[in-house]
Amino acid sequence: MAEQLHAMLSLRGLTRRFGGLTAVDAIDLDLARGELISIIGPNGAGKTTLFNLVTGLDRPDAGTVRFEGQDITGLSPERLAAEGIARTFQLGRVFGNLSVMDNVLIGAHTRLRAVKPAVPVIGPLLELGLALLRPSSVKAEEERLREEVRAILARFGERLLPRIDQPAYSLSYANRRRVEIARALALKPRLLLLDEPTAGMNPTETAEMQALVAELKAEGLTILLIEHKLEMVMRLSDRVIVMDEGKKIAEGPGEQVRTDPKVIEAYLGHGLSGAAEQESAA
Amino acid sequence: MTTSAPEPLLALSNVNTFYGQAQVHFDLSITVARGHIVCLLGGNASGKSTTMKIILGLVKPRSGEVTFDGASLIGLSTPQIVRRGIASVPEARRLFADMSVRENILMGAFVRNDRDAVAQDLDRMLTLFPKLGQRLSQRAGSLSGGEQQMVAMARALMSRPRMIVMDEPTMGLSPLYVDRVLELIRAINQEGVSVFMVEQNASLALEIAHEAYVLQTGKIVLSGSARALKDDPRVRDAYLGGSEAA
Amino acid sequence: MSSWLDYTINGLIVGNVYALVAVGLALIFGVSRLINFAQGSIYLVGAYIGWVAVVQLHTPLPLTIIVVAAAAAVVGLIIERFGLRPLQNSVRIAPLLATIGISFVLDQLVMLTFSPNPRALPSQLPDVRFQLGGGTIGPLDLLIAGVGITSALLLFVFLRYSKLGWAVRAASQDRDAAMQMGVDVNRVNQAVFGIAAALGGVSGMLVGMYYNQIDTAMSLQATLKGVVAEVVGGAGNVPGAVIGSLLLGLVESYGVAVFGTSYRNLFAFLLLVVVLVLRPNGLFASARQAPPEPLTGTFIAPSRPVRIPRWALAVAAAGFAILPFFPVSFYVLQTLINAWLLGMLALSLTLVAGTMGQVSLGHAALLAIGAYTSALLSLTLSVPVGLAVIGGGLVSAALGTLLISPSFRLRGHYVSIATLAIGEIVSLVILNWESVTRGPIGISGIPPLSLFGYDLISPTSIYWFSFAVMVVLALLQGRLLGSHLGRSFRAIRDDDIAARAYGLSLNRYKSLAFIFGGFAAGVSGGIAAHLYSYINHETFNTQQSILALTVVILGGLGNVVGAIVGSVALVGLPEVFRIAAEYRILIYGIVLLLLVRFRPQGLLGTI
Repeated sequence: MAEQLHAMLSLRGLTRRFGGLTAVDAIDLDLARGELISIIGPNGAGKTTLFNLVTGLDRPDAGTVRFEGQDITGLSPERLAAEGIARTFQLGRVFGNLSVMDNVLIGAHTRLRAVKPAVPVIGPLLELGLALLRPSSVKAEEERLREEVRAILARFGERLLPRIDQPAYSLSYANRRRVEIARALALKPRLLLLDEPTAGMNPTETAEMQALVAELKAEGLTILLIEHKLEMVMRLSDRVIVMDEGKKIAEGPGEQVRTDPKVIEAYLGHGLSGAAEQESAA
Repeated sequence: MTTSAPEPLLALSNVNTFYGQAQVHFDLSITVARGHIVCLLGGNASGKSTTMKIILGLVKPRSGEVTFDGASLIGLSTPQIVRRGIASVPEARRLFADMSVRENILMGAFVRNDRDAVAQDLDRMLTLFPKLGQRLSQRAGSLSGGEQQMVAMARALMSRPRMIVMDEPTMGLSPLYVDRVLELIRAINQEGVSVFMVEQNASLALEIAHEAYVLQTGKIVLSGSARALKDDPRVRDAYLGGSEAA
Repeated sequence: MSSWLDYTINGLIVGNVYALVAVGLALIFGVSRLINFAQGSIYLVGAYIGWVAVVQLHTPLPLTIIVVAAAAAVVGLIIERFGLRPLQNSVRIAPLLATIGISFVLDQLVMLTFSPNPRALPSQLPDVRFQLGGGTIGPLDLLIAGVGITSALLLFVFLRYSKLGWAVRAASQDRDAAMQMGVDVNRVNQAVFGIAAALGGVSGMLVGMYYNQIDTAMSLQATLKGVVAEVVGGAGNVPGAVIGSLLLGLVESYGVAVFGTSYRNLFAFLLLVVVLVLRPNGLFASARQAPPEPLTGTFIAPSRPVRIPRWALAVAAAGFAILPFFPVSFYVLQTLINAWLLGMLALSLTLVAGTMGQVSLGHAALLAIGAYTSALLSLTLSVPVGLAVIGGGLVSAALGTLLISPSFRLRGHYVSIATLAIGEIVSLVILNWESVTRGPIGISGIPPLSLFGYDLISPTSIYWFSFAVMVVLALLQGRLLGSHLGRSFRAIRDDDIAARAYGLSLNRYKSLAFIFGGFAAGVSGGIAAHLYSYINHETFNTQQSILALTVVILGGLGNVVGAIVGSVALVGLPEVFRIAAEYRILIYGIVLLLLVRFRPQGLLGTI
């Protein structure tokens, strides 16, 4: 496949076991630059564990993760963030006591100049010094980032901007999800992993989110998406991967996957097989 | 569609629930008729699991009423509610991983004091779930997901409940086990136990349920008999897509 | 070779004693996910009840054991019912702080009732030794072994065959699921606290008899040893706690055999740190478990801090600055100097515990490092005092951070345990490293404070100096909190997993917090050394760590102004009300408990 040659992210035989359970079972995946792949599958199929393996929050028992040609298997999440991999979490892991502004600024953390020098001891001390002295360059950078955050928040219309100084714990569930996505965008990611961004959202909010993801894709961002809402998956994805019990059971364009009998069995269930066929015929 | 519903065994009326400042339920009203299987459908974070927790007394609603067999459950602790005759099959099974399968099943009878009858019921579970017979002394944590689901269901039945609440009983199970679980739920129901189950998998749930409710961001957006909902395109729209499919 | 057998027997006997404490800790941790820092206090209470029974009531030994077990169990039940149950739905930091407060209250109550002087606790057993292989064993050894083995058997039978025992096991594996089976978790908690307290109390009595001496310092040591044994065995793992205890007993005993008695505790704490670093889930836990998914912001309660306008702060600072121009007594200035010194420590701790979420229980160690460094620099190297104090701050920052760094991978309770142990290690090193620290003799003749060649001897000049240093540190800290670092610290506190996913290295930022905090604490210790002119390994003790923690909670976690307000309040109010010194620690403990229960966000709110 052509994608394999310039794959931005490629997984080979990725496996993770918890006790007797194989949560992720020999997953292969290639994601090309600018592509959007959705991962679907029932709850407990291993989708979030796969995200954890790609973002370094968990280590695989077997297999490799390559990003932009480099082997990044088992690297720490902080290293991977610096490489430009950003993610959102299914449960909406915002920093509860931080304001919306500060939450999103954390997203830009890896881009701060003060954070850049990776020299041991000296680097952190310089960072402390810059934080205390705050020369004009640091102030200007902070101001620029704050402007950038406002611009990112503006993508969500009036959902977040009026709450910019409120602590995140006071936000609604849907707004926490938005803050997470804003935080991920502030990292200026090369690869964005979205874990069910529309969970807990009503149809209007879901449609807004879908439009936003479509916009990000149109801007050229490479995206791996976990999502249950099939309409959205069908509309956004270049390809869909279906997971069940840790295994990849199908892969391909949305329409093809949607009519795959294995997928219907595992994910859509028996009852919907008729409906799905009807729809695809329509 | 109007079914001549028997008197309700469980009723939630106008329940409002909050986590901190975020509202999870908005005037939630659900009834489970005696002897019926009722299914609550909805996507992740729609408030399904919280509904389970409200019934079991693990989360307290800010307002509203929950009654079981005519008596209020509000203010009762979880163990008190269990003693009233509600058993649960929690999300992701939640077995006692380091206890044996046998101990897990017997923990289900914790509220009972009739030792002999409990021993008989254990035998009955082994005929209902024959596979567990060979696993009795194994650590529950070492079983496969499907086997764990069997243990969780046997454990729930051991209290001789009048109603079982189940949180996503088919989650993460292979198709073979999904069918088996659904058959068992039906069988349990035919013995007179009412079932309230939370599910994501609409089509599966609607196959065995009598009535169903669709929950979306904490509000009931659809409800009715399972038969009617099965063919209702709004079910899919409501919780799978939400966009106006052509 | 005979002595090796003796050391082995001794190690196993002592291990038995630790096991009685550690098993209780493991039971409680299993059910409540709480490390009960009050366990040592129950052990202390057990020892003193034993003393009352034996010396005053002349009870026979079997009856003494029963009385001690029953009385200690009652104390345990009271702690559970009134100290912890009301906090069931609180944030995770609340029960942790509550057990610390309870521990101080209990210890002080015992001290006030029985005086701090050691007492003899006769064992009532004949003083004979039996030959065993190449070693000897006495009746008391056999008694301890017997009590240990009997307790283990009883506990095994209880957990395996009784209904309540099943409930305990089920609740410790999955509390919510157990409730859904009809288990009353409150009853399980009661049972567990009752059993833990009974075992702990008997353990305290046996140790008192073993050394024929009891005193109030036993409490902290017992908590520490029990926690070490429990963590080595794997928190919440009951058989693991027994094995961990025997292992700890043997390690200590062999350590003493090779290096001498004063190294006993050093080995215990080093074992703890090694286990925490290499196998934080204990020696017997499965190496890799599914990563936990805590909800965000559950460790510290969300709150909106009280905003104090800048001008008000400036006015208050100016008011305190010109205070010496008014006819105030020497006594008032002295009190405020103490408040400013405590304020520097509280600034340090509020950054580390509040902003960074690392509840350090060994913070006094940073004072000690600063104090010894400054004292030794000025005494032996004749460094000017002003520079020596800064040197104390720098060394405390560097060394403190280095020492605490093994705990950076840990969360919640484990951080507290690790810092408590590291604090003890520092004080033991000071005691044992005689060539540098002069060991137990301490350092005397430390020169007074001076600045640019002028000695600061008058209370007014000391007042100004300490106030100015504190204000500068507070301003710097405020500046730090307003920078990207403040944001980063708080993000790590709220959710370290999400923080790492956004590139925040825990090691780097926890180090920076401890470097900054270590400097402030070190400067405070340095100034104190020159004020006191004499320091030893006990000058900066755990009580000061706890006092600082109370100040921080009182002011509001992470709150810079709160730390200073809290210091003035906790130092000043006892003076205002003329509360006798011996009651103060008791008051601090009670204040901590009341705060955790009724105003967890403190006076000025968490930041």
